[in-house]
Amino acid sequence: MADAIAVPRLEPAASSWKFLRVAPGILLLAAVGYGGKFLEQFAGGYAKAHHWTIPNIEYVLWAILIGLAISNTVGVPEIFRAGVATYEFWLKAGIVLLGSRFLLGDVLKLGGVSLALVAIEITVSIAFMTLLGRAFRLRPKLTSLLAVGSAVCGVSAIIAAKGAIEDDDEDSSFAIAAILALGALALFTFPVIGHALHMNDHAYGLWAGLAVDNTAEATAAGALYSDAAGKLAVLAKTTRNAMIGFVVLAYAIYWASRGQAGTVENKAAFLWRKFPKFVLGFLLISILATSHFFNKEQTTALANLSRWAFLLTFAGVGLRTNFRELRKQGLRPFAVGAIGEVVIAALTLGLVFGAQRFLQL
Amino acid sequence: MSENVEEIPKRRRWVLTLDGWAVAAALLAALLVRAGVLKHVPW
Repeated sequence: MADAIAVPRLEPAASSWKFLRVAPGILLLAAVGYGGKFLEQFAGGYAKAHHWTIPNIEYVLWAILIGLAISNTVGVPEIFRAGVATYEFWLKAGIVLLGSRFLLGDVLKLGGVSLALVAIEITVSIAFMTLLGRAFRLRPKLTSLLAVGSAVCGVSAIIAAKGAIEDDDEDSSFAIAAILALGALALFTFPVIGHALHMNDHAYGLWAGLAVDNTAEATAAGALYSDAAGKLAVLAKTTRNAMIGFVVLAYAIYWASRGQAGTVENKAAFLWRKFPKFVLGFLLISILATSHFFNKEQTTALANLSRWAFLLTFAGVGLRTNFRELRKQGLRPFAVGAIGEVVIAALTLGLVFGAQRFLQL
Repeated sequence: MSENVEEIPKRRRWVLTLDGWAVAAALLAALLVRAGVLKHVPW
């Protein structure tokens, strides 16, 4: 039934109020991100001037570390929180702009490899997480959320699945906390493992995109290794994100068949609603770049805009991670998530090495 | 006399999601670069 109103409501000040509400947090993201970039240059210059040989710490890591330090010591004051939460906006805008650095042929070739690996990863991850959840006697819907979060794309997938399977807020906050905590750990462990195994940029980027759950952390884990690895991590993760609708639809149908969720009337509309639209934006920019819509200088400018957007994202990753808050969510979901992540990381590592051997990545 | 208030059907609001806003902002930036408004973006 259509709603009816007597007088249309006009809110002329709404947009400016919204902007004012997010402005302090966006400025904080910019300050932390730029601080990271400054520290990278300062540390490098200082070491060179004093003839020291120290490993180059990328701005990505500096930005995350500064954010983590603020979040876990003084905390993020209320005035900044709405703006800090915009880091997902910057992440998605950055991914769309990154499309300018991919020729469509590369997207199809690497995306095809990613798609095949993603299909295997999703199938095995869901099966394994479901068994693990049962073994640890987690609530079935919490197990579903953890499986979706681990298999597809972290927090976005959990939020999409929560609505579709009509689960409660407590379960989703458990699942989100576990995925975020494990994503934070991945930031520091994945590059170390990649270097220890002497992985090339392509193989490492593909692995980070396949195994790290949340898009922001997957992008950061890739960028921490190298610029090329960051690009591949985004491509693989974007391929994974594109699967979100199908996986959530399957779960919605499963829980509806058990009478514990509403039925899905229009499956095509459901898939479109859940489909991450930034994937289409990424492909569009890639098509434009391939058809020489942008000249070389313009492509460089777009790539740099993408870097700036990611800089704000990396600052946001640090600022929104509070270990005390994550610890409060309980041990069992975290244990299930952690065991699952280790197995998925090992599985995807095997897949990447297999692809590297047979497909010459 | 009874007051007759004509009800105006509320239009379905076309609200962009976060994804939609991010894509729109990125495409706008790309157009500004293409049009030469944003000529040089330093890093």
